[in-house]
Amino acid sequence: MPFPLSHLLHFTPELILIVGFVVLMIVDLIRPLRRAAGILALVILAAAGVVAMFGWPGTSQTIFATYSHDPFALFFKVFFCLATIVAVLFSLASFKTDAEYYLLLVGSALGMSLLSGAHDLILLFLTIEMVSIPSYILAGVYRGQRSSGEAALKYVLYGAVSTGVMLFGMSLLYGLTGSTDFDLIRNHFLQGSSSPITLFLAMLLILAGIGYKVAMVPFHFWCPDVYEGAPTPITAFFSVAPKAAGFAALLRLTVTLLPRGWEAGWDWPMLFTLASAATMTLGNLAAIAQQNLKRLLAYSSIAHAGYLLMGFAAASDLGFQAVLFYLIVYLFMNYGAFFVVDIVSRKEGSELLRDFRGLGYRAPYVAAAFSIFLFSLVGLPPLAGFIGKFYLFGALIDQGMVPLAVIGVLNSVVSLWYYVKIIREMFLRDPLKPVPLLTGVGAKVLLLALMIPIFVMGVYWSPIIAVAGEAFQLVLP
Amino acid sequence: MNDNFPILILLFLVAAVVVLAFLALTVFFGPKRPNPDKGLPFECGTVGVGDARAPFPIKYYLAGIIFAVFDVELAFLYPWAVAFRDLRLVGFVSMMIFLAILAVGLYYAVRRGVFEWK
Repeated sequence: MPFPLSHLLHFTPELILIVGFVVLMIVDLIRPLRRAAGILALVILAAAGVVAMFGWPGTSQTIFATYSHDPFALFFKVFFCLATIVAVLFSLASFKTDAEYYLLLVGSALGMSLLSGAHDLILLFLTIEMVSIPSYILAGVYRGQRSSGEAALKYVLYGAVSTGVMLFGMSLLYGLTGSTDFDLIRNHFLQGSSSPITLFLAMLLILAGIGYKVAMVPFHFWCPDVYEGAPTPITAFFSVAPKAAGFAALLRLTVTLLPRGWEAGWDWPMLFTLASAATMTLGNLAAIAQQNLKRLLAYSSIAHAGYLLMGFAAASDLGFQAVLFYLIVYLFMNYGAFFVVDIVSRKEGSELLRDFRGLGYRAPYVAAAFSIFLFSLVGLPPLAGFIGKFYLFGALIDQGMVPLAVIGVLNSVVSLWYYVKIIREMFLRDPLKPVPLLTGVGAKVLLLALMIPIFVMGVYWSPIIAVAGEAFQLVLP
Repeated sequence: MNDNFPILILLFLVAAVVVLAFLALTVFFGPKRPNPDKGLPFECGTVGVGDARAPFPIKYYLAGIIFAVFDVELAFLYPWAVAFRDLRLVGFVSMMIFLAILAVGLYYAVRRGVFEWK
């Protein structure tokens, strides 16, 4: 029997992205249209995002027994479209590139949209690969540059290993339960017929594969090298979108496969507690010594993965909601920080700390914007970063996990040190070249557009937290 | 309780022991009669020419990847052809969309010069 075609309506955002992808391929071949590829990519992504938004919050249902159509998936679809739109705008403001580049970004967005609804081990694996493969190519998009090629090669090699590890974990899970469907796997677990230690091993291996995507210690090695070598807009994209995709996969896996109150025989929030503490501590301590701003932000993004894992350690509704909220905040502040780095490195030719010396005198607007992004990354009030961290810490305290919360707060203090080091360099040092650093109007508007949500969500965050709460309505029996 | 865990541990242990044992046994007991011909990279008996780390054209791999795509396409076409009557118009239209997407991909590859052997 053919499947009911009406189910395809649930895939409208993905269908738009698929059609857009094919159209972009054709546009790439027609010389006069090639220049409009960036704009076209924007239109496609915006259309997909808006359609996903109109579906909000919708009903929860599982389609073809492999795909969840629920508020959680819709939330992430809108998130990924937004993240990719910012990446496209960022690239348009930053450098001239092929239509192929935008094609790959749209392809990556398609993979991430599908991933947000994956309700089956095979679909989850395929969609993770759909996100990864365009990412590998995007990292090496500067064909002539050695560092870009190095970044791409490292990304592919580490990615291949982590994918293999994850697949092994999935095969164990399949062997244990005889199914790839999340619902059936959970039911099998609830019957308690599988060995807890084998299950632990399977979940640990899957966690390793996803941990690679979100740059969780000890699977973070690729992160600084890839971030440094890839073009800055792509670095910013990597630090937000595929990372959020990894968290989306991790959220669905933990919530559907490891329901609370279920005696798993092993303490899985403890695993996240350890990972979280290790990730943020290593990220922050390693960031202190960095002189290259892209590497510094790479370690900072590792540390932020650690903060986000605190929500998993809390393993409560509040914790998972805090993760969703923090991801939204993180999108704006991290893109902003990378955008400023890109503006400066494009003028100076490198992104070392000394290139930012006296930026407050050379480009006051850009330096002020950078300070705001950095303060928000630290988590200082009244900026959105503070509210995000407040919810994460609040979720931990709510579960009585005070030690991890203390580690988190100490880490925030450490991070203050290296973020403020940049701000000191910008405002309290005389510039090496006392000439103004000019920026285009487009760049200034984009900076403003990224700054406004940080201020707004720092003061009036309740609608967003409500959305995050509503998004956390997963398909649960 | 259906405990698979000891079997898993056994799998790892046996694999590790077998590998290590073979490695150790060859070191201790294997005959060692080195000669210069043995040091050559073995390539079906042909004498090696030059270094392996030389730049080489990747055209073949591009063509290979495109072949793989159409090979997989065939794997989809067979079951479709068998179930053609039952699937009716919906199946036909779906398959045509699938083929159209692939055709655009092939056209793209041709226009980007994948098949130009220069």
